[in-house]
Formats: sequence, structure tokens, C-alpha cells
Amino acid sequence: MATEVAAVPIRERAPWIESVVGQSLALVAAFAIAVAIGSVIVVLYGESPATVYGAMLRFAFKDPTSIGTVLSIATPLIFSALAVAVCFKAGLFNIGVEGQFLVGMVTASWAALTFDFLPGASHMVMVLLFSMVGGMVYAAIPAVLKVTTGAHEVVTTIMLNGVALSIVSWALNGPLKYTNAPPGQNVDLRTDIFEPSALVPKIGGAFDVGASANLSLLFPIGLVAALIVWFLIRRMRLGYEARAVGSSVGSARAGGIAIGAVQIKLFLISGALAGLTGMQQVLVERGALVQNYESQLGFTGIAVAFLGQNNPLGIVFAAILWGILSRGETALQIETEVPREFVIILQSILILTVVVVYQIARRRLARRQLQRAGTQEKGSADAAAPQDVDRPEPPERMSEVD
Amino acid sequence: MDLGDVGAAVRIAFIYFTILYLTGLGGLFSERSGIVNIGLEGLMVIGTVTGAAGVEVLAGPAPVGLGWGAGGVVLGLLFGALCGLLFAGVHALATITFRVDHIVSGVVINLAAIGLARFLSFVFFEQATQSDPGGPHLPRIDIPGLSSLPAGLGRAFTSLSPVVLFAAFLVFPVWFALYRTRWGLRLRSAGENPEATRSLGVSVSALRWQGVLLSGLLAGLSGAFLSVEVVGNWREGQTLGLGFIALAALILSNWNPRRLMLATFVFGFAQAIPLRFRDWPVIESIPPQLIRTIPYVVTIIAIAGFVGRVRPPAAAGRAYEGAGGS
Repeated sequence: MATEVAAVPIRERAPWIESVVGQSLALVAAFAIAVAIGSVIVVLYGESPATVYGAMLRFAFKDPTSIGTVLSIATPLIFSALAVAVCFKAGLFNIGVEGQFLVGMVTASWAALTFDFLPGASHMVMVLLFSMVGGMVYAAIPAVLKVTTGAHEVVTTIMLNGVALSIVSWALNGPLKYTNAPPGQNVDLRTDIFEPSALVPKIGGAFDVGASANLSLLFPIGLVAALIVWFLIRRMRLGYEARAVGSSVGSARAGGIAIGAVQIKLFLISGALAGLTGMQQVLVERGALVQNYESQLGFTGIAVAFLGQNNPLGIVFAAILWGILSRGETALQIETEVPREFVIILQSILILTVVVVYQIARRRLARRQLQRAGTQEKGSADAAAPQDVDRPEPPERMSEVD
Repeated sequence: MDLGDVGAAVRIAFIYFTILYLTGLGGLFSERSGIVNIGLEGLMVIGTVTGAAGVEVLAGPAPVGLGWGAGGVVLGLLFGALCGLLFAGVHALATITFRVDHIVSGVVINLAAIGLARFLSFVFFEQATQSDPGGPHLPRIDIPGLSSLPAGLGRAFTSLSPVVLFAAFLVFPVWFALYRTRWGLRLRSAGENPEATRSLGVSVSALRWQGVLLSGLLAGLSGAFLSVEVVGNWREGQTLGLGFIALAALILSNWNPRRLMLATFVFGFAQAIPLRFRDWPVIESIPPQLIRTIPYVVTIIAIAGFVGRVRPPAAAGRAYEGAGGS
């Protein structure tokens, strides 16, 4: 250690490069471990891992419609993972993305049915705005409780997730229940079908992507959202303050940052992003809010946020990777003996290994940076004494690509 | 509106109490040892599918099962509990050995459980989202004396699963183990002040492993009880967030096994209200979905400090740096 530190001239960029290289290596290692564990399961099913993984990859990219499907699976996850990441930056854990996206679906559905007189695209814009407002209002509850009473956001958001399930069920059974069912038919519980003007247009046609892929304008909107989040975190005052609060609440307070205000603002942004999560299924795939809606998107967003290391660009790639894996379910069903549920197992293992490997890498990195700091301070290599190495690291941060 | 409804509602409350109390006790052991466990729901899910599979094999009819009767059902339930324990090992490995954030690991546990349950269901039942209904269960028992209470109140104590009684009496050994044994003292100290525990030469990691594994055992048993004894088969999503309600009860009870009993029974009764009192005045005008939110709302109010005082174990959620590997 000591010789290595002495050999590297201390420059500004060295830790930065080390950090990025270290994180990339960690990701690759985690991925390799997950694929290896998955291979064991595949072999137990008497199949060759090469065949299975090959089929999954080939299926995802076999034609434009397949790629479009992958991107449309990724779309809601981009929103929910960004929502998680925004809060993480300040050390806030918004497990409530799930509940916020459910409430966003309800408010958006209400807006779609109420503002059907609006002309053209303004109807859709209004619906999208209401999805964001729903998510924001629901995210404001844990934020305000945290700032005013100190109630931990993890506990309050878990509870609010439970409440959100009831809100959807109440809306579907009560105020938003369908009024005109086709006569003589049993209809599953849902809202009335929305006017076409409320729906988000599909964009697949321009790229030879079939309509069945459900690739919509929401995907580019998700990319823009990722850019905005990146800009917010990296280039705006709020982002700087968020990172300051995330690294050390004490220093941030000493630096004159109004911590409560930062936390509330971040929660509101997070809630707005969370609200958009449900729009792919409501405004593209179904055209109504239905009883057997796809849930868990908020929790999956947490997984995707880890996979993308809470970096907006990383999240976009992680969501697409998730989409590729999910698309692989169909490949498994058609081409192999391995049950399609294997994909969910693989996704779970991947997240577990990413979380564990990343944690190990982060500790090593922190240790090394501590050593370097010690060297700088005393100007000698032996400052990196063992007791420094074992010193507990600064408060937990979920991710920081500094 | 008659008292028979009350009796029936209390009976439903007993069933929910059993699910919530077993799971809540699991969370209590884990969090008292210092490991926050929001993966209780996922541990329950594993218990539901493996418990149903265990019972089908051990107590089911001949072609598939061994037909061991009640003994087979007990073993099947224990198999569900054991699988919960194994799955909790993942949480322990991540949080204690690798010091991953407890919440992060818990979220992953919940997510992974859904996929794993489907996978296991496919392996066990050759279908991904449910098993065949009407599986064997334990003989039902009537509580002597109480089951003949007048005016329909006796219905509360009639035809109960023996697991309900097991859960109700579990408070005694748990209370004794936690507050009257050396192990209990050490477990609680690992969650309150791990440095002090360590300074006595006791391994914090070992205690926390025990706490987390116990949480898996109990949550797994709770899940197995739900699928085998309550529903009669495994169905995807049958835990319905009860793991989170158990977590809520745990918080409200201040991590105390006796108060947890009260909290889980009250929450269980709240679940029974929309089922049994639909036609009572006042209640008929409240949407049933609203009543189901009672446990969550009450917990939010309590955690925000508007009523009572909630104090989690001091070191819960913090990785213990000094005990690495020991």
C-alpha cells in the first residue's frame, strides 16, 4: 500500500478515475457472479447456459419490434428509478415510489375522464401533469412529516404504500368505476375507457417498430427526465445542496443549507417522477385504469436505481438491461426447457450481487481515499496507520460518482 | 346486526392475529438484535409457497403425497418455516457479513421473494401462480368452555387451527427468552449498544445472525400457516401486505412482545370489520378500503409522535464495524 501511494503523484483527477474504474469493475464483477449463479440453475435444468443466455439476447434484438418492446418495458422503470435516485442523493430513502405511482395513476385517470373536453394534445398534457401532481402530493406527506416531526421516511412511506393500494381499490370501486359497460358483457373492474386524446401516442411506426411493442412518446420523455435529473444534481444549486446533505447533514447545516427545505423539494421532484411511472400502462397499454394493473414498478425502480448506481445515465442503461432480461422470459418459453420464472430469479440475483459487490468496492475505495488523505496531511506514507484504515467510514451514502 | 357477527369477527381477528403475531415476533427478534428487517413480507411469501408444497408432499393423498396426516401437516408447516429461515440467511449475509444497508437488502428480499416463489411454485406444482386448492390441514379445535358462550359469541372460539393457540402461547417463551435469559439480554444489547456487547467478549455478529434467522423461521411459519391453514392452497400475492402490517404493529408495540400481541389483535380485528360488519350503522357508510388503511394510518400517526412515543432499538439499522467476520 505505502509504496503504491508514494508512487502515484497526488493529482486532482486520480481519485476520480479510481472511483469510476472501481465502480465499473464492481459492476462487471457483480454481473459475472450473477450470470455464473444463474448458469448453475440452467445446468440443473439440463440446458447449456450458452444456449439460454444466447436465446435471451438474440430474442431482445431480433427485430425492431423486439427492441421496441425492450424499450417500452424500460420506460416506467426509468421514471421510478430516477425518482428513487433523486432522493438518494440527499441520503433519503423513498421506498414510497410504489405508493406515489399508484396515486399518480388514480389522479391521472380522474383527469383523463374529467378534462375530456380539452382539445388535442392539451388533454394528454393535462393528464400527465395530474399524474405528477398526484405523486407529488403523496410524496409531500412523508417529506413534511420527516421535516416537522422527524418521522423516518422509510417507515412512513412503507405505511403509505399500503394506504395507496386501498386508494386505488377505492377509486376503482367508487368514484372512478366504469359507467358504460358494453351491454350483456361481464367487464373486469376498471374505469371508463379514456378518450384517444388523453393517450400518449406511440412512436414505433417511424422506426419499423410494430404497434404491439407499445413504444410511446414516454420513452423519449424518460430520456429527457434523466437529462434534467442529471442537470439538477450536477449543475444546479439544489443538486449541490442535496449532495451536501447526503454526505453529511452536520456539515451541510454548518454550511448554511436549509436541510428541511432541500429534503421537501427533493421529495416533491421524486414524487413527480414517480407519478409518471404508471402512465405507460394507463395511457399507452390499457387506455384505462384497470383492476389487475401492473404493480411493483416502484420497488423494481429501487432495484434499477442500484443497478444504475443512482446515476441518471446509468439508470437509463440499467432499465434497458432490465427490459432485455424481462423480454428474455418469452425467449425461454419458446426456445428452452427452463421456466420463464428463471428471469426473475436472475434479476434478483443480479441485484443482490450488485448491492453486495458494490458495498465491498465502496469500502475499499473509502479506505484507500482515507489512506491518501493521511499521506497528504503528514506528507509521509506511514501516516496511513492501521487505526486509520479501520476507522468507520462517513455516514452511509447510497451512491456518489464523484 | 347481532352478536354472532361479533363472535365471527373475533374468530377472523384470531386468524389475522396469528399471521401478524408470528411475523411480528420474527421482526422483533431481528430488530432487537440490531438488524432492521423490512423483508418480512418476502419471508412470508417464501413460507406460503414452501409450506403448501411441504404439506402437499408430506400429508397429501397418495400419488404425490405420503399421506402422513396431521403429523405430515406439522412437518410441512415446519418445512415452510425452515425455508423462511434459509431465505432470511440471505438478508443476514448481506447486512451482517457484507454490511449492506438494511433497508436496501430488505427491499431486495421482498422483490426476490416474488420471483423465487413463482420459480419454486413452478418446480413444486408445475404452475407458477397457485397450487391445487383444498389441501390437507390440521384438525380444528374448539376451546372448551369458551366455545359454548351464548348469543353466538362462542363462534369466536370454535373450529380454530391449533397454530392459533400456538401463536397465542408463544408470548410466554419469547418473553422469558428475551428478558430472563442471558441470551436474551445479549441479543437486546447487540441491538442497543453493540460496542458494549463486544467489550464483554460476546460476538455481535453471531447474535444478529440468530436474530435474523429467527425472523425468517417465524415469518416463514406465518406464511405457511396462511397458505395451509387459512386458505388451503398457495396463491400468488396472498400475503396481501400483511408483512408490512406486522411491521407496523411491531413499531406501535415499541418492539415489545406483549404489546405486540395487543397491537396485532387490534389490527387483526380491523381487518375483520369490513368482512363482518358491512351492514352495521355507520360502518356501512365507510368504504371498506378505508377501514383497511387503519393499521397504516395509526402507525404513521404514532411514528410522527402525535400519540405515544416510539423508540426503536438504538443501534438498529447501523452496521457494526468492530465485529467483522467474528
